[in-house]
Amino acid sequence: MRTFKNNLKDFLIETFMDWDKMQLLISFVVLLLIGLSPLVVKSPYYMGIIILTTLYIFLGISWNIVAGFAGQLLIAHIIFLAVGAYTTIVLNNTYGVSPWIGLPLAGVVAAILGVIVSFITLRYGLKMDYFALFTIALMVALKTLFQKWKFVGGAVGMWVRLNNPSWEKMIFKAKEPYLYIALGLVVIGLLIQYRIYKSKIGKYFLAIREDEDAAEALGINTAFYKTLAVVIGAALAGVGGGFYVMYVNFVEPLQVFNLGLNVEILMAAPIIGGLGSLAGPVLGGILNKPIVEFIRGTLAAERSGTSLIVYGTFLIISILFMPQGVTGVFYKIYLKLRDRYVKEEL
Amino acid sequence: MPILKVNNITKRFGGLLAVHDLSLTVEKGEILGLIGPNGAGKTTAFNMISGYYEPNQGQIIFDGQDITGLRPDEICKLGLVRTFQVVKPFYQLSVLDNVMVGAYNCTNKNNIAKEKSEEILEFLGMTDLSDHLARNLSVVGRKRLEIARVLASEPKMILFDEAMAGLRPTETDEIIELVRQISQQGIALLLVEHVMKVIMSLSDRIVVIHHGEKIAEGKPQQIVRDDAVIDAYLGEVTTDVAS
Repeated sequence: MRTFKNNLKDFLIETFMDWDKMQLLISFVVLLLIGLSPLVVKSPYYMGIIILTTLYIFLGISWNIVAGFAGQLLIAHIIFLAVGAYTTIVLNNTYGVSPWIGLPLAGVVAAILGVIVSFITLRYGLKMDYFALFTIALMVALKTLFQKWKFVGGAVGMWVRLNNPSWEKMIFKAKEPYLYIALGLVVIGLLIQYRIYKSKIGKYFLAIREDEDAAEALGINTAFYKTLAVVIGAALAGVGGGFYVMYVNFVEPLQVFNLGLNVEILMAAPIIGGLGSLAGPVLGGILNKPIVEFIRGTLAAERSGTSLIVYGTFLIISILFMPQGVTGVFYKIYLKLRDRYVKEEL
Repeated sequence: MPILKVNNITKRFGGLLAVHDLSLTVEKGEILGLIGPNGAGKTTAFNMISGYYEPNQGQIIFDGQDITGLRPDEICKLGLVRTFQVVKPFYQLSVLDNVMVGAYNCTNKNNIAKEKSEEILEFLGMTDLSDHLARNLSVVGRKRLEIARVLASEPKMILFDEAMAGLRPTETDEIIELVRQISQQGIALLLVEHVMKVIMSLSDRIVVIHHGEKIAEGKPQQIVRDDAVIDAYLGEVTTDVAS
């Protein structure tokens, strides 16, 4: 028992001295609280918000890897979510393939789209703002394509048939199973993000973000690593899209090829939380969705659009006053605590 | 056999002939200085050798291999690495991580890259700074970091693009000493430089270019007495420098 206590103490001290591990620990504490929330939250409405919050954390991680680590301005990241959602629902409805297989396949299809996006932008040397514009243009083109494409339901979209709930079909009567699937995705996402960040690939992503010419001079095949970043982000967003459609039971082109939704569910969490940091998507995510819902709930009765103005103002203020995000604020507090601890030890 | 052999390279930008029919060689372990007035084509030549531009004509051989038209990262993998005139540290990364990015050129393993980076930082006397962000370094610190990164990539030859630009005299002396130590490890160096003190005290040989063409080549003592060089570049004061 003593040794266990000592081991735990050593582990905590080691974690405490390493900010990267601290961020992982903070993230898992937040996830644990989310996981325990069904004990307290009984209302399906609030449970729904918690599930989407969790999913958006996962989607935030996917954008954080592309934009936060590798610095690629993949503004219309939602195309990968959309393609993942459509892949899953088409496989489910038309071919009877279980979403448990559909979700990974959604990731694969989104990754292939990621390769195509990378190939075209690299071929024509589109960087930064032009890269961003290209992804937006592609989103608009895909929206039109999907609206005309009868096979995927055209402009009307597709529904998940809800008769006979079952594990195999990823259809549940209760909300909790969805929450635990979303939490599982976040755990996987966080571990992938951490492994990347700590490895050669992660360092290369950061180097490309900071200075592409210098990165190239140091032996980094920038085309390859930029593609890799987009593919990883796309694959994760595709899987997230697959879960999204199984949870909301519905997808249509106007809904998913949509820049507003793109900001709300993909970009806001890492930006509020601290773009490029390990805990950013989690810390931003637990603020973003609840705030969106709160604003919408209180202002829905006002003139339409008021809630969007308030939400936009909130985003601007959080960027102005917390350029490093919530994680940046935590980091400052952490540094003070660590200094105090180190002094006490001496 | 020379480690770097540049054969008659030419680069045109539209109607402008930036480099014309330039040839030069660098022997193993040698320090070659490349000088010339502003706009002479030094940087263009430099960018061709390091893979940022492709020459219109000519051939570049490094370590027995034709590298003409290869990408900068491929050239780096072969052991020919450049620095930048305006240093380009990865600002938001720590000093250690900056160097590790260079060290990953030869390994995929974190601990090997880290060990090697720590060794190099110690060699450069920067161990105390390894946790600092690169953006917090002084100008001379950033120059040192640039050199540390390049060393970590295990080069056979380094191309220095005005490594001393913007430094105070005492700092310049520091970097000169450092460059000399690097050369003593057997790494060949090509220096593009404006500070004559640096070129004169470091170079084994000097190549002078003007209007994109080579106008002189030889030992530093010969170069400062060369009439064409004095006319084009050095002017009269150089006799003081030489003495």
